[in-house]
Amino acid sequence: MSYLSISHVTKQYGDTVVVDDFNLDIEKGEFVSFLGPSGCGKTTTLRMVAGFEIPTAGKILLDGADITDKAPNQRNVGMIFQAYALFPNMTVAQNIGFGLSVRKESKEMVAQRVDEMISLVNLEKHATKYPYQLSGGQQQRVSLARALAIHPQVLLLDEPLSALDAKIRVSLRAEIRTIQKKLGITAIFVTHDQEEALSISDRIVVMNSGLMEQVGTPFEIYNFPTTVFAANFVGSLNNASAEVVDPANSLISIDGVQFESGIDLKERRKGDKVRVAIRPERLSFASEQKKANVVDATIENITFLGSVVRIQLKIGNTKFNMDTFNNPFLELPKIGAIEQVTCSREAVLVLDE
Amino acid sequence: MTTTPVSPAIATNKRPVTTQRLGSWLIYLVVSLYFLIPLAATFYWSLRGKKDVLSFEAYRKLFADTSFLPAFSQSIINAIATIFLCLLIVVPTAYWVTLRLPKLRPVVEFITLLPFVIPAVVLVFGIIRLYSAPPLLFTATYNSSRVVLICVYVCLSFPYMFRSVDNGLRAIDVRTLTEAAQSLGANWVTILFRVIFPNLRVALLSGALLTFAIVIGELTIALYMAQHTLGPYMSDLTRSKVYEPSAMAIVAFAITWAAMGIIDFVGRGASRQAQKTEAE
Repeated sequence: MSYLSISHVTKQYGDTVVVDDFNLDIEKGEFVSFLGPSGCGKTTTLRMVAGFEIPTAGKILLDGADITDKAPNQRNVGMIFQAYALFPNMTVAQNIGFGLSVRKESKEMVAQRVDEMISLVNLEKHATKYPYQLSGGQQQRVSLARALAIHPQVLLLDEPLSALDAKIRVSLRAEIRTIQKKLGITAIFVTHDQEEALSISDRIVVMNSGLMEQVGTPFEIYNFPTTVFAANFVGSLNNASAEVVDPANSLISIDGVQFESGIDLKERRKGDKVRVAIRPERLSFASEQKKANVVDATIENITFLGSVVRIQLKIGNTKFNMDTFNNPFLELPKIGAIEQVTCSREAVLVLDE
Repeated sequence: MTTTPVSPAIATNKRPVTTQRLGSWLIYLVVSLYFLIPLAATFYWSLRGKKDVLSFEAYRKLFADTSFLPAFSQSIINAIATIFLCLLIVVPTAYWVTLRLPKLRPVVEFITLLPFVIPAVVLVFGIIRLYSAPPLLFTATYNSSRVVLICVYVCLSFPYMFRSVDNGLRAIDVRTLTEAAQSLGANWVTILFRVIFPNLRVALLSGALLTFAIVIGELTIALYMAQHTLGPYMSDLTRSKVYEPSAMAIVAFAITWAAMGIIDFVGRGASRQAQKTEAE
């Protein structure tokens, strides 16, 4: 029996279905991210777990107990908001101790727990400060400490890093993950940033327009996306329409250029139109090493992105991006030249439309 | 309230900045005079209590009058009771309408505008009519009439209190704060008293002080309900004395000014906090 079970949860506002039949079983201590664009239903689902929205249909079970209709203040979940939501009239210590004082714990107990939490998030020197005296990153850490102080069963994070600048975002997300692992606490993290989701989650749920597109580990979602949306949203991707040439041998053709795919196409028929995706980093120059597929490509443009060099190619009539690691001593081809480009069978993904 | 100087970068007119500044100050001066001259005249008049000499005789007589202090204290107590009741009704209402019942907002706003629509005379006679016969007999004794009066004052100060509280709620993102408090296990009472009220300090104070000003100076309703508050006392004074009314006016003005000063002072501290949080 999983620790947190969200089963067949649907949320409807009038005629608009915001979350459609969401199903997920989360194990204790697991870190799950809900990833998707704005309006995909990820925050609504999180809020249903928190109790701020009531599902139109379905059940939510936490550690065996049905919490679907429970009020938010009865649920023992810790919530972290994008806007920090620290109480402006209280100091850092008072904010962190709020949940415990509401539960009428003894003053000593509260003080001890507050000290524990303050050292957990490394804010020892700021205990008597007010929220307006702290930076965004510090405020979010107080928010984290406050949510964890009450020993919640689940930690819910609603785009907590979106309001922070890039460097803080990276360091704080690592901190959140470290603390989560240390305490062994179950967590759900909502974000629209795929890099965030990929870097810290045990599993990711990719969502789009209220539907679950794919659930899997970051590795699975990135390397083996099962839907066009998941493939496009997570990482950059080359997208092309293709035709099945030989189902038995998994051969497809993009604008007349033949590729062999690692995906089993026996279910398809010759002439079927499919969508094909190839990750830019899976393409390379055949002059370095020849793999299963070798095709001719015209170089259209070369962009220097720092650690990565992005080369825009044309194979047949379709544009492709090819990413290669920057190497100062590498001789790059000239624009307009025709080069041989290669990729493995497994790199050619055939997706459901 | 500080006046921000016009920086050359923002000035869009072709006139040089100094001319523009001069123009602004001129307007400021003219408008100030419009207010200050009558005030100065009243003050001057109040100093003429003793024949041929400028003195505070009128003020002395005022404070010596045996019926002044009781009337004054009655008004103050009425004002405090009104503020207290008004806060108790308006804050939860504004909070609920903002959070849970946004559809009711137009209805509530309409209700808060009603006191402006009904003239005081009409209001007081309506009340007397309503409450002077069983089963709603509340005007039988002085004290029960006083309670009715306070309730009327609560209605009269609704617009100011509601607007003040509403603005305060918007400034503190009340929805997210409430959700945060709820996720930590707080019930409505705890949220209202430990999270909402403390963060509405400035809004509550300004609403309270506006209410104070209204109640202290109110005349018509108190008069027709035969209440001995400051309003009827002042109007009596104008009929029988020459210099004391001016002294009374200056005293009332000074009290109001002090009240506004308090809001400004408290407000500055709190708005600095709010600015810093927003700047993060």
